[in-house]
Amino acid sequence: MIDALMENILSMVYIIIGGVLISWSVHFVPVGGAPAAMAQATGIGTGTVQLAAGAGLTGLVSAGFMMNVTDNLPLILASGAVGAMIMISVTMIVGTWVYVYGVGCVPSSAKVKTDPITKYRQDLYVSQGTEGHGLPTVSFVSGVIGGCLGGIGGALVYYALIEVGLAVGLTAGAASTVTGNELVGIAAMFAIGIFFVNAVIPSYNIGGTIEGFHDPKWKKWPKAVVSSFVATILCAVVAVIAISQLGVI
Amino acid sequence: MSAGGSGGGATAAYPPQTIMAIGAIGGLAGIYLGHFMPPAFSFFGGLGAICAIVWGADAVRRVASYGLGTGVPSIGMISLGMGIVAALFGLSVGGVAGPIVSFIAAAIIGAVIGVLANKVIGMGIPIMEQAMVEIAGAGTLAIIGLSVVIAGSFNYADVVQYVVANGYIALIFIIGGMGILHPFNANLGPDEKQDRTLSVAVEKAAIALVITGFASSLHEGLMSAGLNIAVGLVIWAWAFMKYYGFIKRDAHAVVGTGLLPSAEELQ
Repeated sequence: MIDALMENILSMVYIIIGGVLISWSVHFVPVGGAPAAMAQATGIGTGTVQLAAGAGLTGLVSAGFMMNVTDNLPLILASGAVGAMIMISVTMIVGTWVYVYGVGCVPSSAKVKTDPITKYRQDLYVSQGTEGHGLPTVSFVSGVIGGCLGGIGGALVYYALIEVGLAVGLTAGAASTVTGNELVGIAAMFAIGIFFVNAVIPSYNIGGTIEGFHDPKWKKWPKAVVSSFVATILCAVVAVIAISQLGVI
Repeated sequence: MSAGGSGGGATAAYPPQTIMAIGAIGGLAGIYLGHFMPPAFSFFGGLGAICAIVWGADAVRRVASYGLGTGVPSIGMISLGMGIVAALFGLSVGGVAGPIVSFIAAAIIGAVIGVLANKVIGMGIPIMEQAMVEIAGAGTLAIIGLSVVIAGSFNYADVVQYVVANGYIALIFIIGGMGILHPFNANLGPDEKQDRTLSVAVEKAAIALVITGFASSLHEGLMSAGLNIAVGLVIWAWAFMKYYGFIKRDAHAVVGTGLLPSAEELQ
């Protein structure tokens, strides 16, 4: 067991960096939860975990697709990042359509007076008794950055786990029977497990809504990143041992 | 008791220790029975998973009553996230002691995350550490139990080949998570009662047994799959009727106040 850990020390570093990136990325995503679903707060009307998981898993799928054709790490990470960014962008743009044309409100935030990117006044458009509504430009940009980081993190974890499996002689190629590709299945499940752990820890840190990187709560991110760092070390140790054991049986 | 608001400890008819014993001992017993008995009896793994899911739902109920600020589903998702990592690890190194090793690994991961949540993030929930250990353990036993239903044993090679490699593990992940996170989420409110919440947990876990029973037909044959599905359906019907009874007990009386007065009566 110790040998497996020592041989895969680089992969473990990748997994830990990936976990920390996922944790950090969650803070960028504008999450409104139930209040946003009723257009009483800014952000997307669902929970952090669902959004982070959606973006991360899309990133995982696009990274896995890229790994079919190349083992070049920068290309795989870029593919994962773009997949997650597309997913989160589409979610946000459709959400904005619903807010603007369905609910009939102007995307604006009550937490800052002007949008940090466009410099437009926002306080004039906030409905009484709400914290804002819709997705202002800064929240959209912040969400795309979050998707990028989360996709890179998810792709990095998946890549590292596949590398651990390849090192003990397993294959991850497409040439296999439908039910015979153990490595891909187990690496994907570990990546998803690590993703959920690292998506939930920062959501406890945020607790409620977040509008993106201009939100005051955003300053709490170091706490979540430290927590995720420790939690991911544990997950990385058990994941590397479990995948190395696949080569033994 | 709401997901966003502050709350306190949940009142309960069954003490946590009882549920914990049912979940841990029942879960492990079911898993081992399903492993050592012939493939036709793999539904014992499902019975173990039902015990574990009830335990997990009760732990979610206790911790989520304090108000997490992020909604109840997040804690169910972290349960399965920790569970899948710990389950595969334990089965890979443990051999015949696999489920116990998984359980201990889950407890360690859960304890570390619970301490981080309280000490570093500062959630300040007094039972957070204990609840995280319980939730991780329950998620792990649920995953292994449902894997035993499909694979017929918990040998690492069998589980990887019959459950992980063909993607059934994703199915287990979601239906196991539903069993743990959904009961409290569906019943929360000022009149939430423990027996009503837990009857939903049994019902959801029985659905999980039915679905994994379908999946087991690929490897164990139609007879075993039929037995798995039949056991699941019987438990589901029983739990659903119990739940229906609890709803009727807790539903408030409908009182007739009469019709609005007509124009003549008002004059």
